Amino acid sequence: MEPEEDWLVESLRLYQDFHAFDLSGATRVLEWIGDKGVFVAGYESLKKNEILHLILPLRLSVKENQGLCPERDFKVCHGGFSDTSVFDLKHVPDTRLLVTTGLPSSYLHVWQVTEDSDVIQAVSSIAVQQKEGGLWPRVAIFSSTAPRVLHGARLRSLNIVDLETQKTTYTSGVSDSEELSSLQVLDADTFAFCCASGRLGLVDIRQKWAPSENLSPGPGAAGGRWYADVGGRGPGPSIASLGSNGQLCLLDPRDLGHPVSSVQCSVSAPSPDPELLRVTWAPGLDGCLAISGFDGTVQVYDATSWDGVGSQVDPLFTHRGHIFLEGSQIDTAPLVTTHTWHPHKPRTLLSAASDASLHVWDWVDLRVAS
Amino acid sequence: MPEIRVTPLGAGQDVGRSCILVSIAGKNVMLDCGMHMGFNDDRRFPDFSYITRNGRLTDFLDCVIISHFHLDHCGALPYFSEMVGYDGPIYMTHPTQAICPILLEDYRKIAVDKKGEANFFTSQMIKDCMKKVVAVHLHQTVQVDDELEIKAYYAGHVLGAAMFQIKVGSESVVYTGDYNMTPDRHLGAAWIDKCRPNLLITESTYATTIRDSKRCRERDFLKKVHEAVERGGKVLIPVFALGRAQELCILLETFWERMNLKAPIYFSTGLTEKANHYYKLFITWTNQKIRKTFVQRNMFEFKHIKAFDRAFADNPGPMVVFATPGMLHAGQSLQIFRKWAGNEKNMVIMPGYCVQGTVGHKILSGQRKLEMEGRQVLEVKMQVEYMSFSAHADAKGIMQLVGQAEPESVLLVHGEAKKMEFLKQKIEQEFRVNCYMPANGETVTLPTSPSIPVGISLGLLKREMAQGLLPDAKKPRLLHGTLIMKDSNFRLVSSEQALKELGLVEHQLRFTCRVHLHDPRKEQETAMRVYSHLKSMLKDHCVQHLPDGSVTVESILIQAAAHSEDPGTKVLLVSWTYQDEELGSYLTSLLKKGLPQAPS
Repeated sequence: MEPEEDWLVESLRLYQDFHAFDLSGATRVLEWIGDKGVFVAGYESLKKNEILHLILPLRLSVKENQGLCPERDFKVCHGGFSDTSVFDLKHVPDTRLLVTTGLPSSYLHVWQVTEDSDVIQAVSSIAVQQKEGGLWPRVAIFSSTAPRVLHGARLRSLNIVDLETQKTTYTSGVSDSEELSSLQVLDADTFAFCCASGRLGLVDIRQKWAPSENLSPGPGAAGGRWYADVGGRGPGPSIASLGSNGQLCLLDPRDLGHPVSSVQCSVSAPSPDPELLRVTWAPGLDGCLAISGFDGTVQVYDATSWDGVGSQVDPLFTHRGHIFLEGSQIDTAPLVTTHTWHPHKPRTLLSAASDASLHVWDWVDLRVAS
Repeated sequence: MPEIRVTPLGAGQDVGRSCILVSIAGKNVMLDCGMHMGFNDDRRFPDFSYITRNGRLTDFLDCVIISHFHLDHCGALPYFSEMVGYDGPIYMTHPTQAICPILLEDYRKIAVDKKGEANFFTSQMIKDCMKKVVAVHLHQTVQVDDELEIKAYYAGHVLGAAMFQIKVGSESVVYTGDYNMTPDRHLGAAWIDKCRPNLLITESTYATTIRDSKRCRERDFLKKVHEAVERGGKVLIPVFALGRAQELCILLETFWERMNLKAPIYFSTGLTEKANHYYKLFITWTNQKIRKTFVQRNMFEFKHIKAFDRAFADNPGPMVVFATPGMLHAGQSLQIFRKWAGNEKNMVIMPGYCVQGTVGHKILSGQRKLEMEGRQVLEVKMQVEYMSFSAHADAKGIMQLVGQAEPESVLLVHGEAKKMEFLKQKIEQEFRVNCYMPANGETVTLPTSPSIPVGISLGLLKREMAQGLLPDAKKPRLLHGTLIMKDSNFRLVSSEQALKELGLVEHQLRFTCRVHLHDPRKEQETAMRVYSHLKSMLKDHCVQHLPDGSVTVESILIQAAAHSEDPGTKVLLVSWTYQDEELGSYLTSLLKKGLPQAPS
């Protein structure tokens, strides 16, 4: 009990707000719907998994008179059951539809969040043309009046499918078998891909496949597995690529061939499960990003002053809650499975770990606090 | 068909008024009798007309059970027993019996003195109501009458809170009241054995929530207190003194020790007396050995917490004060509040729900200007914080309890059915039970199939086994015996034994039937023909031809005789005992069909 007590007392100084929850099953998904709700989903392979639509504790959403609001709990607004494990979930904007992907990987599943009850119902399935065995297709959504799903496990199997008609409207058309680690839709015509090798590309879907890429020795030269995020506020580079060896590269989309900077994060590398690597840009802070997937922590870095290659950097903040608070399984050290930033509370994050814990935390920028 | 019927009483979908009617094997039990705190008129009481239209409450109800002292579970009790009229027993645990009248009286004072309500129960009514109470201990089986029994289980939540099992014969219902499955600092978690009731009734108010951990709630409380004290402010914490105060004191004491803080923490005198009283109740309650590992110290003796003197309120510098009453409606907590409200460095932390009309309720609604006696206006500049410390079971907790008790069905009250479809599916899938969610006023009927155990005498069993044929689970065997019902005991014995026990003489019933056959030969030959025919037809049975000419099939006797008037006709006399009725009838119809032609 002692280390837990110590950490909680420390936390008074480190966090403005801190909430800790126990889900019935661990999640690798934290997908926002609006700014008040998130989706989580289980990824177990042998039993039914739950997909939950959770409403954030009222205390976090209330803007004024926060002190008068005692509500600190998540509300389960909708729930559904999935027979397959869910590794990623995307909400189709302006609709009540969700798309999930996982293993077995022969289908993407489409769900509806019902209006008059609290059930999330399976609606349809989208067949994935090329069966990939242990690989699961990454997914991103092109939202428009006729939403489309971008999916693929490898570059050669990248497709865009119309959600309603299930007709394929775009294919990469290449035979490249490189494995994908993330897909991200940037606007109505562009998406970004990151391969497990670290190869990055930006694709304009109005043209035949001709991505602007980092084909020259890019971050992947160091080996390991990579994950990238395009975002970033402020004037600096907007693409961050994180490697399982702890290397973090920042790139400018106009010149993917030459990273702006490359640093070594203060993590115990290599990551024990590189599929869980996550790097996310803070939507509310300039040049700030968070990383997870190496252990039971989430680290926040200020990338505004980074330059050059190879320097070791220290995090601005490390969230250790998942290590110190008793989870449901106390024998194995928990691993953070995913994290996400709150859409507009600048320093609030949500993080989930393999012990089914879910934290909502608002860290204190100690440089300012004193 | 035996059934269990459950009706949550009360009007509307609103939460906050627990009162459930259960009918089990002909017995009627009322579970809790709560007040809805949000209403000022009759809507705050459950709708008893549902029962009263059937006659007098005392005649209809076998007993009333109260789970714990919160007003939304017992607030309507004096109204129910003294103003509507009920004279039967009211069961609750000892601490509940001790604390209920105090809270009811507090509530009455606020309603009548503060809000000037007319149609409200009086102090005398509270006293008269409590005279009807029968207190119970945990895990003690209490016989309400010779058929109905109840048993209380530890529920955590607040001091004295219990879950109740109601049993009639082999049918039982468990009602949880409010409970929590994650332990508290001083109360621990609810616990029930694998009692496998037909039905588990549980509140579903928090069923669709995922609770923030206790640690984080405590952290928030400590952070707020610390911040106020650090800036030199004074912190007022109004409490009821019955549970919450102890929990928070333990927390502050631990924190003060660890952080080496010097600001004084005070406990007002009224609280100390009540705390001693509470302590005595508490010790008896936890001596039931519910929790193995528990607070190892006397947690009512604190190093850093001292008795308060009203003069201290004017002392300069930071301090923390716990004072009663909890809703700031009178007494010391209100006095202190008035002194400290004008300074923005100060803070008041409200740890619970406040009834309408109290100062507590007003400031929690955001009011910053309060009208006090003599038309004085009090400006509230101090920081107002509302924290929720009550321990309730969330979705996870409900699943845990269902897993412990293993009921056949689950019933959730106080939820909106549409908003609980997912939870219902979850419970049904995980435990393979039915899950019901009635609205207030709606009755749920559960069919049950009670099993009645019957003892079979060894002699009877042995005799049946001696018949030779092995028991076959798929083929029912016809057994002749006598069922004796005495007291609540059922026994199946052989007829002879039953007659012997009852001192009766056995009478034999024998049936005789005459079958006419056309056969001009002698009787002996007819008998022979009958014998051959039956021998070939009834290969499974023992068919014998006796020396005197008669034929026997098992114990059935067939004799051939000449017809007195017509020598061409033979009369077969078939006679059998009552036990051989089936075979006898079969033989008769077989013989009536006639005999096959014998070769001449």
